[in-house]
Amino acid sequence: MLSRFVARRFAAAVALAFGVVLVAFLLTNLVPGDPAAANLGQRAIEDPDAVAAFRRQYGLDQPLPVQFGRYLTNLLTGDLGRSQQTNRPVRTDLAEFGPASAELALTATAISLVLGIGLGTLAAVRRDGPIDQALRVVSLGGVSVPLFWLALIALYLLSFRLSLFPGAGRLGPGAPRPPSVTGMYTVDAALAGDWATFRSALGHVLLPAMVLAAYTIGLLTRFTRSSVLEVLGNDYVRAAHAKGLPVRLVVRRHVMRAALVPIITVVGTAFASLLAGTVLVEQIFSWPGIGSYAYRSATTLDLPAIMGVSLFVALVYIFVNFVVDVLYGVIDPRIRAS
Amino acid sequence: MRGIPPKAPLALIIALTVALGACGGGEEGGTDEAVESDTGTTPTGDGDAPSPATEDADGATTAPEEADTGAAGPRPETLVVDKSFDLATADPGRQFEVTGTIVGVALYDTLLTFEDADVSTPVPHLAESFEANDDATEFTFTLRDDVVFADGSALEADDVAFSLNRVRNLKGNGSFLMDGVTAEAVDERTVVLRAEQPTPQLPRILPNPTLGILNADLVRENGGTDAEDAAEADTAEEFLNTQSAGTGPYVLEQFDTTTETILAANPDYWGEPPVYDRVVLRNVEAATQALNVQSAQSSIVLDLAADQLGQLRGDPSLDVVEEASPNIWFLFANANPEISDVTSNPDFREAVRYGLDYDAILELAGDGAVRVPGIIPNVFLGALGEQEAPQRDVDRATAAVERLGGDVTVELEYPSDFTANGLNFGPVAERVQATLAEVGITVELTPAPIATALETYRAGEEQMGLWLWAPDYPDPADYLVFGAGGIVGLRAGWPAGSDPELEAVMEEVATTVDDAEREPLFEEFQRQMNERGVMFPLFQPTASVVARTDVGPVQFHPAWTIDLEAVGR
Repeated sequence: MLSRFVARRFAAAVALAFGVVLVAFLLTNLVPGDPAAANLGQRAIEDPDAVAAFRRQYGLDQPLPVQFGRYLTNLLTGDLGRSQQTNRPVRTDLAEFGPASAELALTATAISLVLGIGLGTLAAVRRDGPIDQALRVVSLGGVSVPLFWLALIALYLLSFRLSLFPGAGRLGPGAPRPPSVTGMYTVDAALAGDWATFRSALGHVLLPAMVLAAYTIGLLTRFTRSSVLEVLGNDYVRAAHAKGLPVRLVVRRHVMRAALVPIITVVGTAFASLLAGTVLVEQIFSWPGIGSYAYRSATTLDLPAIMGVSLFVALVYIFVNFVVDVLYGVIDPRIRAS
Repeated sequence: MRGIPPKAPLALIIALTVALGACGGGEEGGTDEAVESDTGTTPTGDGDAPSPATEDADGATTAPEEADTGAAGPRPETLVVDKSFDLATADPGRQFEVTGTIVGVALYDTLLTFEDADVSTPVPHLAESFEANDDATEFTFTLRDDVVFADGSALEADDVAFSLNRVRNLKGNGSFLMDGVTAEAVDERTVVLRAEQPTPQLPRILPNPTLGILNADLVRENGGTDAEDAAEADTAEEFLNTQSAGTGPYVLEQFDTTTETILAANPDYWGEPPVYDRVVLRNVEAATQALNVQSAQSSIVLDLAADQLGQLRGDPSLDVVEEASPNIWFLFANANPEISDVTSNPDFREAVRYGLDYDAILELAGDGAVRVPGIIPNVFLGALGEQEAPQRDVDRATAAVERLGGDVTVELEYPSDFTANGLNFGPVAERVQATLAEVGITVELTPAPIATALETYRAGEEQMGLWLWAPDYPDPADYLVFGAGGIVGLRAGWPAGSDPELEAVMEEVATTVDDAEREPLFEEFQRQMNERGVMFPLFQPTASVVARTDVGPVQFHPAWTIDLEAVGR
């Protein structure tokens, strides 16, 4: 049964990935712009030889169906083409920028899970009390505040004014990078036992991750609150209380397990929204991740990079959905049985 | 129902705060963090320059000599420079972007250069001397005999010929600099550049960092070629992105187009050694740069907007250098009647020329900005005096609009997502719209992302356009493109043959060799452009360099923004 489930998922993933590639290719080519015009200088664009050399180099001199066919053929061998902005294989770019964004998004997710679920549960248990009221305001603020503004304010107050955090970037200026294993500096520095770099990397990732997490903390707090409240009204929870079980035990053993299924769905969606948020946060914090790469690719009509990023994000979505589906079964045996 | 005590979330928050304290910026904020690096600094060799900072056994930093400006504190060991990157490559022959130029000047020397920020007179650099024939078609350079590359090999004429011919044949953004020019090594120390037609501007072109001189043998070994098929056959870029192959004051320590590029002082540099042993050039957005320089996390920042500069001027720890950039912001009205019956009418040009409120538009461009009387910036040969700038004359403009039938409507296109010198095109376009409305011209703004706006601009399909021109090289010949039949003229629907009188001046100045004769011709070119042309030069925006005072003297350079080698000198 499990193998059929995985096979179905894999087939869906392949179809989805093909669809994403096709749509990204068509949309990028529908944009009324010329990659040569976007990438060549004001003189070179007037030089037919320079334009021809550029088109030849990136295969733009071929008809669109041929370009797409070549792309798909190369894709089967893992070749995502060459970026026009970095002049490197897109695969190399994604391998460099993907882990940077993953480090940011995973840290933000961890912060969101801890604070969002914790505060949501607290708000539900203290329903309509001052803490609940205060948390409503906080969660509403989290989902409402513009990310760009929050990033600037956080950098100004917490880094510049209070010196609680180092500034922008993944490490201090000119600091040596840890030997690359995962591409995530905190993990790589820990694996290398380089604790000074680990501290620096962790310090640099925390502030942008907290900014990035602001929206998902607000979202999770609200969803957790309503989900826990729903479960708290069930008879078996009342019975547990009536038996005299400590409140913390009731919540942990009886309430959270039932409340987690809808929360997990939201976490999956929230993780995806984190990826979208990285575009702005990475710009402010000079974080060289997928978001910055996607932005630059879009502004320079860098077709291979746009398609590479689209494919990468689609695969992340597919993976997250898969994990969410599996977690449903782990948390709720009824789903596993069905 | 009893509630649970809020200890668990609180404990988490406290734990998080403790973690922040442990990892926070207190002890590692600022440029000192770079000192942790063990990538090594190199001695700067002999010379009269102040010695760089050194680290003693206890890790304490010893300051070099104080800067002449009476710097406030000890000079930082590493120079951290923030720039919003447009970096594409470290291969000098392929780079033609602002950030690439900054890096290129530091890594590669050129035959000629500009001393300090004076871009009017090129002076010998790798060349010991040079001479040109009477019609500026042949230039002979004698090379210095004391120059070595970073690997210790001596500079020879073959290196120069290889580097310059390679640029031409790469068919890249900077290849036009060598258009019609061939370099030949006559002997070990003599190079001759031959041009197909008179090229009096060549001495002002040669300091361009794209024409930096490479170690030919080393680059050939790593896939480089100067053959005619270099556009396809040359594969040296990957190598040059990992290791520099020049004679410049710095060598490449780390190249990254997205995070930071690190330069280390060249221990065998033939000239005066740079003050700083190590330079970290970081990719940072303008919004963050202001915070970084104020908090000493950066030494120098290069992309601040006029409103940001205003907030920093009173800070005693900062030097705020503001000058007029050589970039020109200009409007054009398309002269092609197929694009617009209105904008192609000479009366419309007159209405725009005298209807624009130039001073009101200039207000947007910052304190260091200046009005540009003609199309040539004020720092170049042939620039017009302020008194020759067209002045607003509402009556004359209104009369011209009435001759058009009154209440005309046109479209103005501009790039909506592009910022230059900290200035967006949107507010300038809105100011143009407002001032022209006062004389009866309705301007409909049609902003577009630069990738798409460039397409219509270069196809000559915009009715009116708002763009900027960054100089390719500091010679007025670069501005002939604005005339009828020039590449910008064509984008404004103004082909050759549209203005024979103007084109005669353009033809004459293009083949005149002597600067004393070129200057009045370029002035005449601009006067006629101001009288009948389709271009409306607006202003040169503020260019800024903001540095911490402990860095030492810093200068804005009109050709390459900042000369890292000269910082602190």
